[in-house]
Amino acid sequence: MMSTVPSELPVTAPIEHRFDPYVDNGGTLLSIAGKDFCVVAADTRLSEGYSIHTRYVPKSVKLSDKTVISMGGCYADCLTLTKRIQQNMEASLVAPMWYRHAHGKTMSTAAIAQMLSIMLYQKRFFPFYSWCILGGLDEEGRGAVYTYDPVGSYEREACRCAGSASSLIQPFLDNQINFKNQASERRELSLDQVLRITKDSFTSATERDIYTGDYLEIFVITSNGVELQKMGLKKD
Amino acid sequence: METLFGITGKDFVIAAYDTKAVASITMMKIGEDKSRNLNDHSVMLYSGEPGDGVHFAEYIERNVKLNGIRHGLEMSPKAVASFARRELADSLRSRKPYSVNLLIAGYDVKKDTPALYWMDHLASSAEVPFAAHGYGAYYCLSMMDRYHRPDITEEEGIKLLKMCINELRTRMILNMPDFVAKVVTKEGIRVVQL
Amino acid sequence: MDALVSKYAHSSASPLDSSEGFSQAGFDAAQQFALPMFDIPMVSNPIDFLRAHTDPSAENRIRIQHGTTTLAFKFQGGIVVAVDSRASGGSYIASQTVKKVIEINPYLLGTMAGGAADCQYWERELGRRCRLYELRNKERISVAAASKILSNMVYDYKGMGLSMGTMITGWDKTGPALYYVDSDGSRLKGERFSVGSGSTFAYGVLDTGYDFDMSVDDAIALGKRSIYHACHRDAYSGGSVNVFHVKESGWEFKGNFDFDKLHWDYQAQPKGQIV
Repeated sequence: MMSTVPSELPVTAPIEHRFDPYVDNGGTLLSIAGKDFCVVAADTRLSEGYSIHTRYVPKSVKLSDKTVISMGGCYADCLTLTKRIQQNMEASLVAPMWYRHAHGKTMSTAAIAQMLSIMLYQKRFFPFYSWCILGGLDEEGRGAVYTYDPVGSYEREACRCAGSASSLIQPFLDNQINFKNQASERRELSLDQVLRITKDSFTSATERDIYTGDYLEIFVITSNGVELQKMGLKKD
Repeated sequence: METLFGITGKDFVIAAYDTKAVASITMMKIGEDKSRNLNDHSVMLYSGEPGDGVHFAEYIERNVKLNGIRHGLEMSPKAVASFARRELADSLRSRKPYSVNLLIAGYDVKKDTPALYWMDHLASSAEVPFAAHGYGAYYCLSMMDRYHRPDITEEEGIKLLKMCINELRTRMILNMPDFVAKVVTKEGIRVVQL
Repeated sequence: MDALVSKYAHSSASPLDSSEGFSQAGFDAAQQFALPMFDIPMVSNPIDFLRAHTDPSAENRIRIQHGTTTLAFKFQGGIVVAVDSRASGGSYIASQTVKKVIEINPYLLGTMAGGAADCQYWERELGRRCRLYELRNKERISVAAASKILSNMVYDYKGMGLSMGTMITGWDKTGPALYYVDSDGSRLKGERFSVGSGSTFAYGVLDTGYDFDMSVDDAIALGKRSIYHACHRDAYSGGSVNVFHVKESGWEFKGNFDFDKLHWDYQAQPKGQIV
């Protein structure tokens, strides 16, 4: 078993420098599924500790006419992961052929959702520091929200908020979207109502979370495609 | 804490294990088999790291069986113990070592003698007249020193084993629910419910 | 040396750089994921790396969802499986609607305790392997074999930080079968198991109320109540209770019961008989 590698260099022990490739860049993201639409929203602030690096950086990306991905956490990891998803939608992991080119169609929301889970788990021992929310329409045209933990456990839900202000917004969504602890029964909300709740969530979170603010990007996914709305948030 | 016992006699070996399976503070199961029959005349008992025991014992079991099939000869208890020790020792020097304590009880058909090997998780191996692993050893080795003779009969052996188990039940803070014994003789291996 | 060269010359490990990828010939879906591959950080000790970044004291901690109560037990009418639905990351409740019973296929169920992703991923991989077994052997895999596949898969990663405590249940040629499998490599056949942070509480109620000859309805009620009591005492368990019944024809979902509703239903009932 023992073997010596011939070398001119004197024998030295390997030097390992601190390897800490993670940083929390803050930011908040949210997605709500409706009967025949889906809303994906995220603020655009990029911060680290007490400093704000930039005020406008998009955290959500349109993947297809039916699907939008939104990510928070370590922005570097988010960029890599987004790029990989886009690559895999062209060249799939599933077979040594290109998904779109091989199958002649774009990946469905459910297929992207399962693929993302596998991609995150592939890095189980070197995780992406990222919170992912996938929003879109399913094969029947209903709104779909898929949420992930950093290593790929996923679940389809009605609504979800992730990122730095998630603990501020999620209880509000539970109450307003899922009618938790309310006397009235759960009912479907219109796109208008959902957009109002979304905007209120972010304006309120901006008041109390230092990592949330600047601008809000809202993707509205309907059978007509994806529409992007932008809105200002407080800049302090 | 898991306990294993082994006692040799004139023409037999008794190997006994407690049947508890524990996960942190919870007893997950009573009735777990902690033994593997390696061939017709040798049996291995294991305790230690969860998962490692079954894996290592089944690995040894299959290789011993394969060796028997290849050569048409049964490996002697000594050969089995040497093989198991080598594998364990090599594993300790690998990236992922097994952590298991073993007892190998067998009957050497050629020499017509019983054999018992005690082996710890660092692959120290010794042929012994009687043996114990686990906290039970602290109580019972002295009893075996006191009462064991090389020429005891199987009946006496079982009786001694029962004395040991009884002592554990009266003195040990962790309860020992039940034990299963395997007796190896010239005729082969059989199970004795205690 | 030649052997080494030829070994790599025939390698089709990289799916994208080979032009063969475009031809259907030679492609075998079953071989594609024969061995799952994981990315490993380029450090001398990847295990310490992962531990450092998932540790509660880490500066930017990667929180993996945890906490659970799950149970399953055999009885006269098959097997009842009951679980809670809460996932927590530290003290934050990450979800109250987790599906902790994983439907591996129409006659095999797995439960989820420990790392949510670990359970989901490996039980999905198990489902794939069971399907391949079925196609190759023209018969369904036994629960014993399925649980051993899972146990062997995770044992290969022992000590690397996987966290999984699961029960694999189903009905095969031998009748109802129940196995406990965890990421330590333990695999136990049994009659009655509970796994997770609330398992001790569930065991207390389950063990005292258990009778092998109980009716299906009583068994379902016992499973539900055991999880309820665990949710009541264990802060990491809660949400709702999901119940499944495993029968000869396969498993059947017996419903989702909101914890709060169960609580007030049970409050209205008298306490159990002390026998």
